[in-house]
Order: sequence, then structure tokens, then C-alpha cells
Amino acid sequence: MMEKEKLRKADIYSGAIIFLFGVWITSQALKMPMKDSWGGVQNVWYVSPALFPLFVGSMITLLGAFLFRTALKLVGVQEFVKTLRWLTSKTLFQFLNSLPNLRFYAIVTLFLSFVYLYIPRIDFFLCAALFLVVFITSFYFDDATILKQLFLFYLAGTLAFLIFFVSGLKSLLGKTLPFAHDILTIVFIVVYCVYAWQLVRQHATLRKKYRTAMIVAFIAPFVVGMIFKYFLLVPMPSEGLIVTFLDYLWYLEF
Amino acid sequence: MVVLERIGVYFQTVFHLASDPINIAILFGSVMLGIMFGAMPGLTSTLGVALLTALTYGMDTATAMVCLLAIYVGGTYGGSYASILINIPGTAASAATALDGYPLACKGEGGRAIGLTTTSSAIGTIISMLFLVSISPLISFFALQFTSFEFFLLAFFGILISGTLTSPDLVIKGWIAGFLGLFLACVGRDMLQFYPRFTFGISELDSGVEVVPVLIGAFGIPQIIQVLKERFQIGETQKFQRILPEFGTIIRNIPRIVRSALIGVGIGSVPGIGEDIAAWVSYGAAKNTAKHPERFGKGEIKAVLATEVANNACVGGAMIPLLNLGIPGSPPAAMLLGALMLHGVTPGPMITFEHPTFITEVAAILLLASCTMWVVGMLMAKQVVKVLRIPTQIFMPIIGVLCIIGSYALGLNIFNLYLMLPVGIISYFLIEMGYPIAPLVIGVILGPMADENLRRALMVSQGSFLPIFTRPVALILLLTILWTVFSQVPYFKKRKNQLVDKIRRRKPVKIKMDPEEG
Repeated sequence: MMEKEKLRKADIYSGAIIFLFGVWITSQALKMPMKDSWGGVQNVWYVSPALFPLFVGSMITLLGAFLFRTALKLVGVQEFVKTLRWLTSKTLFQFLNSLPNLRFYAIVTLFLSFVYLYIPRIDFFLCAALFLVVFITSFYFDDATILKQLFLFYLAGTLAFLIFFVSGLKSLLGKTLPFAHDILTIVFIVVYCVYAWQLVRQHATLRKKYRTAMIVAFIAPFVVGMIFKYFLLVPMPSEGLIVTFLDYLWYLEF
Repeated sequence: MVVLERIGVYFQTVFHLASDPINIAILFGSVMLGIMFGAMPGLTSTLGVALLTALTYGMDTATAMVCLLAIYVGGTYGGSYASILINIPGTAASAATALDGYPLACKGEGGRAIGLTTTSSAIGTIISMLFLVSISPLISFFALQFTSFEFFLLAFFGILISGTLTSPDLVIKGWIAGFLGLFLACVGRDMLQFYPRFTFGISELDSGVEVVPVLIGAFGIPQIIQVLKERFQIGETQKFQRILPEFGTIIRNIPRIVRSALIGVGIGSVPGIGEDIAAWVSYGAAKNTAKHPERFGKGEIKAVLATEVANNACVGGAMIPLLNLGIPGSPPAAMLLGALMLHGVTPGPMITFEHPTFITEVAAILLLASCTMWVVGMLMAKQVVKVLRIPTQIFMPIIGVLCIIGSYALGLNIFNLYLMLPVGIISYFLIEMGYPIAPLVIGVILGPMADENLRRALMVSQGSFLPIFTRPVALILLLTILWTVFSQVPYFKKRKNQLVDKIRRRKPVKIKMDPEEG
């Protein structure tokens, strides 16, 4: 949580956003049938589907406005103007470029790409391994320069994958090569691991950390995935090369 | 006769559960897992229950409850390890334990402190279990008299009180978080007319927002971001020798244990407030009534005892409103509610009719879980402490994968993931800006109950709000809600303080006057 003073300044913005959000909820609720007929049923206000959202929307509007007013009163208009100036100054760029924020972007980008790009399209075991390899190596080395380099490398690879999926290359390549996208992911993981090794091979402590990171990143998806897939019988979000291979082994043996 | 019959059923359930080796294995495994989740700073028992819910999907209700309650009990207790040994609370519930636990460990009495927390945590859970069994029929009886207005007001009260007490900053932020949760509960087709609300034409949203992905997102993702962004490092653990159960200390402190247990049960049974508040209140009470309050904060054994009894007593306390009213008493209890619904058990006043032995079963599981926790704590503490050596940068990404697969596995729906992540990121920003997350989650859970009951009540009364004023329980709830709200308004706060000052000023005058008059 932020410090009290910063918190009050942030409250001005969060109060305003919440107020506007409340207004939006109320306006949407007003579009719902209040006294009109819906599905052949003539409405009365007290059974209308709008009743509860209207109540919630107006309460959010009220509380947002109250928070905005309280924060503005405590901070003062002059301080608020200063904050507005800060938002347009170079210091904002410095703040956004700070190391904790860089770590934040890396975490969020990793999650966003994992959930929205990889999980629906690539074999779960592979994308979980990729996620863990990148996540653990980026943070476990605890070095800002390495984090930046690894993050940019991952970002470039993810962009390449995005183009691959959006441009339709996936289906085109899939016709000639089965599991093309899974094979590409394996290539990406290997290249990433090699790149990370290049960055850390000079440092003895980082080399040790690299080995630990690799072991955990490759074992964990298999332990977790196997429990869900074969013991809890949960089909994976996307089943490709590795799941097919594991299925073959599992049903051959048991 | 009814009481004897209940006791008979209770012990029968205990023996039935304990005689199944699978249950025992699950009990030990879940308690161990819970202790690890509790011990690792950054992981909480709420997250543990949330993640394990996905694993219990294929189990029967009783086994699932064994699993989830055991991790809840273990997680609440496990937080004390990190508090005592590295001065970083494993969970918020054990923050108060760190104040005196760590100085004890520094003095070389770490083993003694862990032994005491183990025994006192087990006692706290057992006392709260007794309250759960004895109070539940009474609450259930009263709850059966509730009509829709009472249920609406109760849900509304739950959100407000949770917002009031859990807000780390302004109380208004807690209320905003609660209403944001209620908004999320509005998404989907409404249950009375099937009208799509805030679905934006997305068919996956028609059935509403799934509770479990929201819970996992709200509790898991911000935790991962916070820990890794702030480069959280676990410090050097203090060494400790043999762990003893400390029965002598326990016997000498029975009145304190009873007081702390009552605080724990009482706070646990208030909707939405967790073990952390119970521990702090109990710590405060112990300090205020101690002969040597100056010893508190320097390694006072009574302080450790008070906080640990209270936070574990909260577990049973949180079960009371959860099972009898369908209102979770704490954030992990909110997770349990989601899990119960998943297993086809709808907590509320009808639970005694629909599942007559369910509360007894829960009490029996709590007893077994606390015994298991004691055994694990006494015998395996040294091994469990080793998890504190795992770097956060290693286990947090794995927790991330578990959050994702856990959210997906519950509905086998990728859309749950698309929902979980934005909820998690928004929750992170809300936490950073001082908004509590528990009221948001409680809002999501209680939203449908509040919505349906408000409209049903108005349907019965033909749009009249008069029953609120004519029904005693509804009126009491309304007055409590109004008191909760107005007590936070500066004008009323000022007036209240003035009134209190006036009363205080009057008192000594009276005392002075008496001898003269006499």
C-alpha cells in the first residue's frame, strides 16, 4: 500500500474513476426494463432486473463522489494541481521506468501472454514450462540488467508468436507439419534457455541459480499437469504434442 | 435426550472419519500443505483453500470438506512459524504473534514458542468447534424465522461491516470494494426474469461471474505481483531446539485461553472479518489485563498464547454464520462457501433439513484437523520449517500456474481465466490504493442473495418497504446498518465523541460530590 500522503492524492483519481463507473452502471441499469414488457411479462418496478443494479450503481456513484470530495479537501486544490503537473512532466517517465515498475510490467506481460495467447493455442505442458522458465529466470537471478534483457527477448518472441497466430501461418503450417506451433514453442524455449545461459555463464552463483530454475521450471508443469490430467481427469485447456505423447505412454502402460 | 443424541452422532462421525485411512492420509497431507502455505510469507490460507478447491472437484463432499478444513486450520496455524522464526508473519493472522514470538526465538526459546502456539492453536480450534456445535441449532432456529427482507438486510450488513472493519485506510474504501463486488454479482442473466445484465452480448457471461476464478484472481494474482515486485526476501531463520507441548503453561493460563477463544469465536462469526483482527484484539485484551504489560513485545509467552488461541478460534467462529446463514465469516470461509456450492451444499437455515448431519460432520472434521495439526506441529515442525528456505522467486511462479489451472479446472472453461486475470490485476491496484479485497469477494458471494431477496421481499409486500419497520429482526438489522454507516460520518463521529466526553466529565464530579453529601 502507498504512503498516506500519496494515498490521498491517488484517492482523488480513484474517487473520480469510481464515480464515473457508478454513473455508467446507473445509466446502463436505466436502459433495463422497469415498467415495460420483457419476455411477455409486464414489469413492475420492484421486480425489475434494473432494481439492484440501480441501487448498486447509485451507491458506487455516491461513495465515489464522497471519496473524491474527501481526498480533494484533505490534499487541497494546489497540491492537486501539482499532481496534475507531475503527470505531464518528465518525472512521470522516470517513475514509469523505475525498477519496481519494470518488474510489474514483466509480471503482467507474462501473465497476459500466458493466459490470452499461449494457453488457448499451445499444449498446456509446453506453455506452462515456457511461463515458468521465463518467470523464474527473470526474477530469481535478481539482476535488473538481466531482467531487462530476458524480458525484451521474451517480448520479441511473444510478438513473433502473435504474428504467427494472427496472420494465419498456424493453419498454413499445420497442414504440412503436425503440431507446428508446439514445435515452434519448444524451439522458443530452447533458444530462450540458451540466451539466458549466455547471460549468466560468467557468474558462478547465477549458474547455480540457472540450474535450479531449469529443474523447477521443467518438473513443476509435469507434476501439476499430470495430477490434473490423469488423476483428477481434467482435460487440459489445449492438448497438443506433449499431451498426445503422455496419453500414449499413460494408456499404453496402465 | 436431543443433546445426548447429538453427542452420539458427533462421536460416531469422528470415528467414522478417523477409521478411513484415506481420510487420515488426506487430513495429514492437507494440514501439512496448510502449514506450508501459512508458513511461507506471501501465501495465505485463503489462497491455499482456493487452490485446493480445484483439487477437491472430483471428491465427495465429506472428503472435500476434510481436505479444505484441514488446510484452513493448518494455514491459520502455520503463519506462526515465520512470525516466530524470521519475524515476518506468514499470514496476516499471525502478525500479532511476531511481536512476542520472535523475541522469544532470539532468546533461544523458539522451540518453546512453537510448542506453545501448536498447543494453543489446537485448543483454540477445539473450543470454537464446541461453539459451532452448540450455537448452530439456536442460530438456525432464529434464521428460519427470517424472511426475504431480513436476508437482504443481512447480506447488506455483511458487506458493510466487512468493509468497515477490514479497510486499511478510509472506511469508505471498504464499502466501495463491497459495492464493486455487488456489481460483479449483477453480471449475467437475472434469476427472476432472465434478463441479461452487463453481459455485452458475451454468451459466457450469461450465467454470471463464476465465484471461484474471481476469488483466486483477487487473492492470488495481487499476492504474486506484490511479492515479486517488491523483491521480497525471506530472512535468516532462528534456530530452535526441542518442541514441547507446554501443558503446564496452558493449564496456568486457562482463563486467558477462554477469553481469547471467546474473542476469536466472536470476531470470526462477524461476516467478512478474519483471523488477523481476532489476533490483534486478543493481543490487546491480554496486554490490557496483564499484570506486567511492559513485558509485551519483549517475548511474553502470554501474548503468543492469546494471539494463537484467538486466530485459530476464528476458524470455528467463521463457520457459524457460513453454515447457518450462508454468510462467510472470514475470507477463507468465503472460499469454503464457493467450494460447498460446487459440491451441491447450499449453506443457510435450510442446511439442517437438507443435510441434517452436515454441521456435526464439520465439527468432527475440525476436531480431527486440530488433533492432526497438533501431531504434525509437535513431530514435524523442524522439517516444515525448511520450506522457509525456498526462495519466493521460485514458488511464486508455480503458484501462478496453480492459480491458472485451478481457475480453469473448476468449470473447464478458458473464459474463467480471461476473467480471473483482469480481476487479479484490478485487485492489485485496489490493494495498492488502500482498498480491502475481502468485502469485494463477500460482495460477489452475497450479491445474488441480496438481489433475489430484495426483489422477492418487495414482490410479497407489493412494493412496500413497511415490513422492514414492522418486523423486529429486520428493524434491528436496519438500525445496525444505519449505526454502522452514521458512526463513520464525521459530523456524527464528532457528536458521539462530544457525548462520550460529556459523560466522562460528569463521572468524577459525582464521585467528588458523594463524600461531601455524605
